[in-house]
Amino acid sequence: MATMDKPRNETNGSAMAAFLASAIGSFAVGGIVLLDQIGLFPVPALYGPAGGVSSRTTSAALVWILAWALLHRRWLDKEVNGQAIFTWCLVLIGMGLLFTFPPFWNLL
Amino acid sequence: MGDQLFAPDSIWTMLHGIALGGGGLVTLFTAFFSLQLLEGSPSIEEDRPQYLFWLLMLIPGFLWLSVLAGTYIVFPRYRTTPPEGITDLIQFPKSFIQSNPNTIWLHSFAMETKEHLPWIPAMLSSAVAFVAVRYRLQLLTDRNLNRVARALLLLSFLIVSYIALLGTFVNKAAPLQ
Repeated sequence: MATMDKPRNETNGSAMAAFLASAIGSFAVGGIVLLDQIGLFPVPALYGPAGGVSSRTTSAALVWILAWALLHRRWLDKEVNGQAIFTWCLVLIGMGLLFTFPPFWNLL
Repeated sequence: MGDQLFAPDSIWTMLHGIALGGGGLVTLFTAFFSLQLLEGSPSIEEDRPQYLFWLLMLIPGFLWLSVLAGTYIVFPRYRTTPPEGITDLIQFPKSFIQSNPNTIWLHSFAMETKEHLPWIPAMLSSAVAFVAVRYRLQLLTDRNLNRVARALLLLSFLIVSYIALLGTFVNKAAPLQ
């Protein structure tokens, strides 16, 4: 197992795919909540006792997994611009956070 | 009082908020601090901070369990509709806090936030855990990977702290019993 501890100096594509996919998932959480709030994407409850939150969050999780799978496959052996991915992560997460902020819904 | 404290709903709430949410907060901060401290450390290959990799895998474990318990166990109990004609709403937290103008915000703002926001740190920390498992020491030696991982952990820590604060307010006004 000791060999696992050595730096492998892999290309960063796989890591950047995971980071960006998590940011896309964060954006999806906010985006789906916002679309539901303004009536453009009303999702029926997946689990009745929990109500619509079960389907909104599950949909976002599916977007996250799908984005991760696609990006991972695309960037697996590639070196990706880390700075650009970092910036995109911050933008997408920021938008996701804003869209889940209830006072923001009232502005629309 | 003892009956209320150790009622099943109360235990689930404590497990969700204190054990799992609290565990997430502690591990998030420890991992963030360790990544900051160990970045580019010259003795990193000798030190082999195994604890950090275990810690980074533990975080999404805590957060996902907390999120799922919150969404599928605690929240349904919180939003239970009281039967017709009932006047004492204390057993029905959502209706109880909505019945008082001073606490309405605890649902319209705090709970509405708590329903969705926790899924974000769960996803972000999962990405960092994946990178830790796949890249091992490269996470500490590669400045760019380290920087993104630290940023996501810090964001997750701040979000979970905020959610925990809102949860404390809701539970203080209308605890699940």
